[in-house]
Amino acid sequence: MDRSFQVVIMYILTHLSLIFFLYPRNIIASTDEGHWIPIIIGLLFHFVTITTYLKGLSYFPKKDLINIYLGIGKGVAIFFLIPTTLYFLMIIILTIRAYSEIISIVFLSKTPLWAIMAFLLFMSTYLASKGVEAIFRTGVLIAFLFLPLIILIFCSSVQNVDWHYLFPIVDKEFTFFTNSSFYVSFFAVGGGFLFLGFIPPFLSYQRKKILIGALFLIPCFVLSVYIPILTFGQATASTLLFPFVVALDTVEMDWLIFDRVTMFFLMSLITFIMLYISLVLWKTIRIANVCFPSFKPTFLTITLSASIFILCLLIPNWNDIERVFLWNTYLRFYVMVAIPISVFYFGKRLRKE
Amino acid sequence: MRTFKKLRVIILISFLASTLCACWDNKDINHRVLPVVLGISLLKDEYKLFLQIPQPSQGTIKTKVVMGTGKTISQAVDKISTNMESSVDLLHLKVIVFEKKLAQKGMKDLISGFMRSRDVSPKAMVAICDDDINLFFSKMKQSSEPQGTALLEYFEKNAGWNPQIALTSVWETYRSIHSYTQDVAIPMLKIGKSTLVEQVGSAVIKQGKMVEQINSDETLLFNAFNDESTNGKIEVTHDGSVLILGNKMKHKSKFINEKAYLKSKLKLKVSILETTGNATLESIKSDMEKLLTSRFNKMFTKLQNSEADILGLGQFYRKKIPRKELKNWRSEYYSKLSMDFQVQVDIQNGGNLITR
Repeated sequence: MDRSFQVVIMYILTHLSLIFFLYPRNIIASTDEGHWIPIIIGLLFHFVTITTYLKGLSYFPKKDLINIYLGIGKGVAIFFLIPTTLYFLMIIILTIRAYSEIISIVFLSKTPLWAIMAFLLFMSTYLASKGVEAIFRTGVLIAFLFLPLIILIFCSSVQNVDWHYLFPIVDKEFTFFTNSSFYVSFFAVGGGFLFLGFIPPFLSYQRKKILIGALFLIPCFVLSVYIPILTFGQATASTLLFPFVVALDTVEMDWLIFDRVTMFFLMSLITFIMLYISLVLWKTIRIANVCFPSFKPTFLTITLSASIFILCLLIPNWNDIERVFLWNTYLRFYVMVAIPISVFYFGKRLRKE
Repeated sequence: MRTFKKLRVIILISFLASTLCACWDNKDINHRVLPVVLGISLLKDEYKLFLQIPQPSQGTIKTKVVMGTGKTISQAVDKISTNMESSVDLLHLKVIVFEKKLAQKGMKDLISGFMRSRDVSPKAMVAICDDDINLFFSKMKQSSEPQGTALLEYFEKNAGWNPQIALTSVWETYRSIHSYTQDVAIPMLKIGKSTLVEQVGSAVIKQGKMVEQINSDETLLFNAFNDESTNGKIEVTHDGSVLILGNKMKHKSKFINEKAYLKSKLKLKVSILETTGNATLESIKSDMEKLLTSRFNKMFTKLQNSEADILGLGQFYRKKIPRKELKNWRSEYYSKLSMDFQVQVDIQNGGNLITR
């Protein structure tokens, strides 16, 4: 059965959760002027990658990434899947640690960190253990509940915009290429598309619809950076850790009973991030299951979560989170480039044979 | 096997009950006090805080003012909190009043602190008290306003706000600290004789520091310049008074030989309310144009000398001056900017009477 709708929704939700927190900060830190250039480069990268990836996957109907690589050879499978697993693990640890810190900074300042992390991880582990169909169904439900709210708040965020801050519009020096923040920003650009290669045995989808869904993300990428810049100006926005969140804080909506719309926005995004974590967790378990077929998936899930939790506790502060983000970037570029291209290449070769 | 499964579910559910006590250190609403107005003054090396807290009692709301001192704001709030029977929560703070002395010394750290901690909403309004802040708060306590939110309503656009009052929130003040090209004006208040407060004008804030002062007539022009709607304002000229129905601003900026030129045109639509003697439409129009132009020019020279760009003129030059030099906008370009300000008054109608 065609489940394109669910897949597209999931694609949008996971990306939204990645865009609004760290991405604006990274882009604003990467350059002083002409922020649209790094954004466009990221977006181009995103679209080229997913088109290649989807095209490559279309050569292997009903097969997931693991089966594709295993079908070609054990060596190939190890060469590509081991870094991917490592990348997934790092991503889960980073996401849980970073987002629990965000929750703690933004609204639960008195709650101990371990409790927030345990909660995030518990929900995600439970979802992941229920399998991919459950995750996607939850995704649709959450989208119906929260997506309208997100869009409404997103539209309201243009309230304090001063268009003069758009200038200077051109960056003649392209200094962001030498800035590590630019590369860290690919966390949002390339963090969420790999799942498309893991779901074909369970859910089928149409390539075109995914690409159309991805178009919806373009304004989100652009505005998440430009709304804080237009509200505060570059000089001020660069002093903020979560520029978009603070820009939302300045929005005044008298007719809404609640004083701070930010809270709703954040809450919705946190549910999205739970979905994202559960999805990555599920992918990791899929790979782990192939490596250790004798263990039960439930057992694997629980051990994995427990070890992730312990590793999360080992990261003491925000500066270390940023350092781990930077380490993770090398691995991310490997995965983002190598996997789509290899799938495309193997697909082409298969077609010729 | 089946009973085991049931048991597992029951155990899981009973674990969920442990989350019923909700978040950590959660305090019920009846154990919190939510101040509406915060006043800050500077003692020798300490801040003195005034919190105005509305308290419901027997059907009405009474206002209570508590005080505390501390080296930092959070320490002072903490001290107040320990001395009170319930904990202080600044979440619903609406107005922050700084003493003039403190504003002149600089509010940069305080404003940054508010932005950092998220305790205070960035939308809270900022004001400056021209009087002794002790007196100001004791007067507020006595005032018979039943809601305890008088000062808040004073700034509400749909309540007591007038176009002569500058409206500035915490986040705008924070922006002015870091922005290269934009400063803010903060309303200045005094204890009123027959009213709760009296507006003195606005304080001109340059990067978090009060450097100059403009009066309320000039504040009206400032609001008009920023396209803040000045509807309803009654402007008295030699020949009578008019009601401003609408205002529109047009700017033309030029940048030649490292010097900035700006041509601004303020279009006002007015209706006549009162006339004195035998004023004609023409004389009202020309007098008003003359009056506003000279008033603006006077204010602008004052602002230029203080190097505070509250009109945000630097915004027009963001595409003309490279970012590296824009940093010095206030000192290099703004102080040398030549301004051509024009007012065009359109008398839309003369009320019920015929005026020629």
